[in-house]
Amino acid sequence: MTSMQIFDPSLDKILEQKNSLSVFPVRADEPDYAKLKNVGSQESNCYGGSIPLVTLEETESLRINGVEAIGENPDRNKQHAFHFNADNCIGCHACETACSEKNDLPPHISFRSVGYIEGGTYPSYQRMNISMACNHCDDPVCLKGCPTRAYTKHEEFGAVIQDPDICFGCGYCTWVCPYNAPQLDTEAGQVEKCNMCVDRLEVGLKPACVSACVGNALDFGVVENTPEGREQIATQLPGFPDPDITKPNIRFEQSSSLPREMARTDSAPVKYVRQADGQFKPAIDRKEGTKKHWNFARLSSRENPLVLFTLATQTAMGLFITLFVAAQLGSPALSVLAGSALYPLAILLVCGLTGLGLFMSTIHLGKPMRFYRGFNNLRHSPVCREGLGILLFMIFAGLHLIASLPANAVIQSFVVLPDSVLLTCNSVALVCGCLATLAACTGLYYMYRCYRIKARPFWDHWQSASAFTGNTIGLGAMLAAVLLVPAALVERSDYSALLMVLSALVAVGIALEGIGLLVHSRAMKTASHEGAASHYIQTTTFGKTYCLRNILMGINFLCLLALTAACSLNLISGAGGLLMLLGVAVSIFLVAVTGRALFYVLVIPTTMPGAFFWKNKAFEQHARDIGLADFPQVGLVPDGH
Amino acid sequence: MLFGRRKKNPIKLADKGVMEWKYATCSYCSVGCSIEIGLNSEGRAVTTRGVGGADVNRGKLCIKGLSEAQIFEASGRGSEPLIRGKIFEPWQSCAWDEALDKTADEFKRIQEKYGRDAVAVVSTGQIMTEEFYTLGKLVRGVIGTNNYDGNTTLCMASAVSGYKRSFGSDGPPGCYDDFEHTECLLAFGSNLPEQHPIIYWRLKEALDKRKFPVIVVDPRVTMFAQFADIHLAITPGTDLVLLNALAHVILDEGLQDVEYLEQHCNGFAQMRELVQLYNPVYAAKICGIDEDTIRNVARLYAKADSAMSIWTMGINQSTHGSDGVCAINNLNLITGNMGKPGGTSLSITGQCNAMGTREWSSCSGLPGYRQLENENHRKEVAAVWGVDPALFPSERGLAQTDIFPAIEAGEIKALWLVATNPMTSMANSPRIRKTLEKLEFCVVQDSYQDAESVQYAHVFLPGAVWAEKEGCFTNTERRVNITRASQPPFAQSKPDGWIFTQLARRWQRGRAMQWAETPEQTFEEMKRLSCADGVNSPGANGSPRMLDISGMTYDKIERARGLQWPFRESDAQQGKVVGTARLYSDGEFQFPDGKARLLALPYIENNELPCGDFPFWLNSGRVVEHFHTRTKTGKIGNCNKFSPTAYMEINPDAAAEQGVEHMQYVRLVSRRGDAIVLAQLTQRVPYNMVFIPFHFHECVNRLSLGLLDPHSRQPAFKQSAVRIEACDQAEAARTNAAMRTF
Repeated sequence: MTSMQIFDPSLDKILEQKNSLSVFPVRADEPDYAKLKNVGSQESNCYGGSIPLVTLEETESLRINGVEAIGENPDRNKQHAFHFNADNCIGCHACETACSEKNDLPPHISFRSVGYIEGGTYPSYQRMNISMACNHCDDPVCLKGCPTRAYTKHEEFGAVIQDPDICFGCGYCTWVCPYNAPQLDTEAGQVEKCNMCVDRLEVGLKPACVSACVGNALDFGVVENTPEGREQIATQLPGFPDPDITKPNIRFEQSSSLPREMARTDSAPVKYVRQADGQFKPAIDRKEGTKKHWNFARLSSRENPLVLFTLATQTAMGLFITLFVAAQLGSPALSVLAGSALYPLAILLVCGLTGLGLFMSTIHLGKPMRFYRGFNNLRHSPVCREGLGILLFMIFAGLHLIASLPANAVIQSFVVLPDSVLLTCNSVALVCGCLATLAACTGLYYMYRCYRIKARPFWDHWQSASAFTGNTIGLGAMLAAVLLVPAALVERSDYSALLMVLSALVAVGIALEGIGLLVHSRAMKTASHEGAASHYIQTTTFGKTYCLRNILMGINFLCLLALTAACSLNLISGAGGLLMLLGVAVSIFLVAVTGRALFYVLVIPTTMPGAFFWKNKAFEQHARDIGLADFPQVGLVPDGH
Repeated sequence: MLFGRRKKNPIKLADKGVMEWKYATCSYCSVGCSIEIGLNSEGRAVTTRGVGGADVNRGKLCIKGLSEAQIFEASGRGSEPLIRGKIFEPWQSCAWDEALDKTADEFKRIQEKYGRDAVAVVSTGQIMTEEFYTLGKLVRGVIGTNNYDGNTTLCMASAVSGYKRSFGSDGPPGCYDDFEHTECLLAFGSNLPEQHPIIYWRLKEALDKRKFPVIVVDPRVTMFAQFADIHLAITPGTDLVLLNALAHVILDEGLQDVEYLEQHCNGFAQMRELVQLYNPVYAAKICGIDEDTIRNVARLYAKADSAMSIWTMGINQSTHGSDGVCAINNLNLITGNMGKPGGTSLSITGQCNAMGTREWSSCSGLPGYRQLENENHRKEVAAVWGVDPALFPSERGLAQTDIFPAIEAGEIKALWLVATNPMTSMANSPRIRKTLEKLEFCVVQDSYQDAESVQYAHVFLPGAVWAEKEGCFTNTERRVNITRASQPPFAQSKPDGWIFTQLARRWQRGRAMQWAETPEQTFEEMKRLSCADGVNSPGANGSPRMLDISGMTYDKIERARGLQWPFRESDAQQGKVVGTARLYSDGEFQFPDGKARLLALPYIENNELPCGDFPFWLNSGRVVEHFHTRTKTGKIGNCNKFSPTAYMEINPDAAAEQGVEHMQYVRLVSRRGDAIVLAQLTQRVPYNMVFIPFHFHECVNRLSLGLLDPHSRQPAFKQSAVRIEACDQAEAARTNAAMRTF
């Protein structure tokens, strides 16, 4: 094994161009352990991917901090990886601190974190520490998910590097990454992450964390090269998510026998249980007991704007489609209003709700003024496509509104336009309406795709689609009814046909969502992933709230069936019917908000185990509650958002 | 393959803008890592890194060293001298002259009224050796009180006492290089991965090259215990019993090194007679280690060609601390493991300069391991200082842990605390609080004015910290290493050495003496005292003085990245560039006859054992991210965030029985007081024990008893009894938050 020649004369150029001793940190007495070893490599990795990403000649300068020179590292065209030896990690935090020093990180951000799992009974107790940063994956889901294209996977070293200057702080990459590698800095309003210390690699040095390791647990090199003194390059480790999700470039050694069950000390209700094949799989750890609670206050989270965003846009889409499609179908019950004064107001409401939704999703960003970057990654990111769909929906709905104005009865009572103009307007309105419908469906589909995240098993189920669609149909039809029934009352016309269709639609929406929830809960109950833990929290911490929501859903459904039946039998009329309708509407609204809030707070990602304080959600919340988080040295931003 | 942007943006990495690196020695623990402080273009310290070519740490640093640049501008730094008449009055800022005049005047007044020894000085292990020497010169040669000690009584006194009783002198005989040679390592109450991560790494490096058995004695399953080949989960406070039993087996089976015993040891017969009582069957019942394991470990240790023992607070902080150290020395003497590569008794020290205070501060004796009891020593020092030898008492005064009871009893009226925080660090803090209230005058000299003990001060003197000044530390392996001043002292703070000399000049006697202008001049004065020459006598055994630094200079120290003493002028003249790795390699000890002493060490059960009312052992210790009373690490986010508040480890089975849940507050009650802590349920601790990190103010030491070792006067922090009470969670959370002002 030969160490890289770190003082190659051609590196003088780098040393000349750099502005300080902090980057490309070369020193005369560099110890051997910090130097990369040039030992050749295999052609392909264990996932079948190529280890040389391009030829050496094809690599380019990384232009780090203005340094144009290219490092002499002969492996710079190859995929590199961290190697972690869990047998050796002592949990001393040197790697994390070296990283924070190198990257000048405030205490609340860390590119690398050490957590642990423990098991056994005193004194045959074992604790296994896990030090984890970015795994610079073959399939970087962060890069794919990022709407701004802040991520780049470089051919040089295979480093996945994120540029905070491009990022607008939506945090979607922090959702999709199974390892909690991207760090959302709510104070700075942006994400940052491990950059593989590419400046060190360029001069033949291992990353700062690796060089700092005091347990000889962390190592680094070309992927699949077993480091000196190691025997394993496994892709699995208890507590580590399924490598199939992203094909991470990290390899493990863990040879000491562990107890059958390894528990987490943080508040995640997850433990890891050894299977027949020796692998550990997540299982529920009933930390919260079995009692059911309300915990209404805990329904509120930093994702509140997204609760409003999704509900508002879904309602708007539902309302639009209900009105537009019904008008096109010529449904006598609904189309009467197509030409009335109420129609433009209803479409205006659609645009307003959509606008509100988009506004909520924008203020959810760390840097809202950069919202326009949300369409930079249409090629890969469902977030982009969702946003674009919804935006186009709003635009076409607006155009549809304008184009349908001339044909409106109220306008016609003031101005009578020639038929040719009216015809043109009508066809424009029709085209725009169709396009708006198409955009709504696209937006809704990608809204759903946004939540099909393997690192968030609770969401990664078709129930997300049934809930979104159910809400779109149900809430849209409900809002249509709430608008149209009073209007019919004012005009003293019979609304029972109208109400029958709309209540039936709402009932269909509820049924769709309900079936999804039922199947989902069954799937989660028996799952061997974090989704099972989410479901456990759903039925304990939020158990009473969850029950109430389900019961209300059932009652709403029955009420709507009753309403539909009553309408069809002409038993409903006048203000009494309206009151009944409003009652159900309030209940439906409550169910929707509660359900959506639960959807966000319940998700438990596949992230790495935390420690007792650091990366422990319960402690973080507690520290915020009691004011400890106000001290910057506690390493927590006082309030999430 | 996915590569994102086709036209790639340049990569921007954080640049702390280091323009220059300055050499220093880490100011946290006693490992003595060589460290470089990175200064930016404005000369501000922005980061640190380990020195690649330094033998101690070879480029590595632990979490604390890596984040150490932040201590300079940490919150709570003392910016100017403060003064007040009564402790309930608000602080007034004042000029240095006023603060120093007031301090000198009060000391003089109190000494005149109550006697010379009514003023007590408690110093530290934190300041530079040159400053310790100057403080000693001031206290012994000018102020003249005999009640002068360091806070090292809380951490290293038992090791000092044990070394003195076994070998005739203090001074750890081994070094880190011993790991590279040993064939068996026995660690007592030492959690290297948390306490001394870099020593752990040196051990790990040695083990990666060549496997040898590692045996860890600890009641907790620490990471070290977990990685050990054999973990002896001992009953707290009973190490002496285990050690006597190990000696019993070795002698019983004739595994001792007969030749070594005959040539280099006294006291074998008495020792043999005593250890005969400690057969493994009997010992197992007391120490909780089964008899087979005791025999197995004894044989393993004795049969190894070289075997070494290391220990830390598990031994030192107990009622048999000094005896425990002597018993470890016994074990190594009877197996002939002394002063040879891989065979030694190596105490792993605590503070960065605990060794410096032991060597040069004059607190338990006189500079250079001299004794007050020795008339020649008194004369030698008096001659160099230019004072009347009659000024020196002929025996040592009160230890730190006896000074507080003397304040309580009204014998001591004034206290000077130098870089130590007894309100958090002393056992039984309710008693210390009451004690400090009684003082007529208290001056606290510290870099941090939010250290809890400042509450009881009448004068606060802001000290410069670490590389705001120049000077040396000595580490665990006797390596003298230097810190260069990398920046000026913070605000109006001053180097401790400056404060000592300025104060000295406020006495007639002080003005008559010579005071060095620079630390380097002080170092030269210490060098003169360190060797045997016309003025100084040789060591007790007739050989040259052991603690000899006469061959060192600041530049040589920096070039060598630290030099281990003895490093004599003759060594330097012969062109040697490294010091002496091991003591006693020639089998010559520091008693007049040159032989080591084997001691008969009976075990007397005097700990506060768990009982019906207080059913849990209270154990305490440290965590890697914090240093001592958190005055530094409590302000550095990248340290503090890993344990920002107090907690206890409790066994889940015991917790279930007590109704204690994970992440909930409990109130612990002992015979001294109570404390609120968060419960962390873990099988790392036994059923009948709770473990609490000691760093937090108003926490473990509200509960601890701290019974004193009869020889070293070191408190047994780790052995007392508590019970667990439920408490209102919201109220406890409020209390906990209120306790954490940093």
